[in-house]
Amino acid sequence: MKEIVIMSGKGGTGKTSITAALGALAGSKAVMADCDVDAANLHLLFDPQVEHEEDFYSGKKAVIDYDLCTDCGICEEKCAFDAIHWQDGRVVINDVSCEGCSVCFHLCPVDAIRMEDNLAGKWYRAKSRFDNPFVYAHLGIGQENSGKLVSKVKQEAKKVAEELQRPFIFVDGPPGVGCPVISSLSNADHILIVTEATESGLHDLQRLVELTEYFKLSASCVINKNDLNEESDRAISAFCREHNIPVVERIPFHPAFYETLEQGKTLIESDNKEIIAKIEHIYQYLTKGE
Amino acid sequence: MKVAFTAQGNGWYEKVDLRFGRAKGFFIVDTETDQAEYLDNTQNLEAAHGAGTSAAQSVINTGAGALVSGSVGPKAGSVLKAAGIEVYTVEGGTTLKDAYNLFKQGKLKKQVL
Repeated sequence: MKEIVIMSGKGGTGKTSITAALGALAGSKAVMADCDVDAANLHLLFDPQVEHEEDFYSGKKAVIDYDLCTDCGICEEKCAFDAIHWQDGRVVINDVSCEGCSVCFHLCPVDAIRMEDNLAGKWYRAKSRFDNPFVYAHLGIGQENSGKLVSKVKQEAKKVAEELQRPFIFVDGPPGVGCPVISSLSNADHILIVTEATESGLHDLQRLVELTEYFKLSASCVINKNDLNEESDRAISAFCREHNIPVVERIPFHPAFYETLEQGKTLIESDNKEIIAKIEHIYQYLTKGE
Repeated sequence: MKVAFTAQGNGWYEKVDLRFGRAKGFFIVDTETDQAEYLDNTQNLEAAHGAGTSAAQSVINTGAGALVSGSVGPKAGSVLKAAGIEVYTVEGGTTLKDAYNLFKQGKLKKQVL
């Protein structure tokens, strides 16, 4: 089984559009995992039928037991996140501001504060309209993606792929180079980087490649909207050459990207033969030898 | 010397966990006596953030002089480096027993931190 993670570094490069199209091509052969949980949107294109859902807990939240609270105000004074305020003569914790650091829990002289597991969202095992087994998650308002959640989604995707003996897992990775990204890269077999021909596209590609090189992961690159800026396109190509990262495809800017999105479709369902051929080529490149 | 292995479970025939920060646990072997002990890593596994650096702290607390894992991330790596712990990597599917033998024979690849 081969786990391929599709990353971008920069947001808005077309990563999810390309991931969805690869999923549509693979059908039941590939398990899909949406680890871009801050802005999970693969499900919008996949119209999934949910087979299983589960609550996801992450971190802790402080809760006050008002039967024990003596209104001493120590917690309000010591909270480093300004999450506790006086309201109608008693201290109230603001759920969104509470970081779960537990300082109030430790300092409360009458043990009126307890730390409860924080319900961050739900994760789902489903089947996409292309017959892909599909694992994704939804976060509650104000909750953030985390290495823990990415690790959970990837673990479930792997379990499904093993159970059903599917040869591929395609992971839609989160943007940036932080904790969720490190977690996405962990144990991956290949990283497909989708970038775009802009200055920030190049910059974020460089940061991502620093990571893939650190972890000694095999990586390849797609330059989307490669005709946006010739100079950036050349600089990205040169950078990839220098770092032995094959540029699998260059895709010129095309309205098909947003037109299909507007219709809830994948690029494979567009009527643009050139783009479909390019996606097919990327798919063949990623799945060759299996 | 003590050597720590990231482990999927407690026992010589369990496999090395390729994840470091979110490994199931640590299997710690004393190379002089071949005696092993197990340290659960659930607390770090469940952490939303900072799993790698916390796990590095756990390894340091065991007094281990070397670590065997899949690969260690940049932040956890710098913590281990500062503590003078050398990191070695193994392939997926390796049992703790095989990894320990390879370690003793000096056949494991060192990860440059």
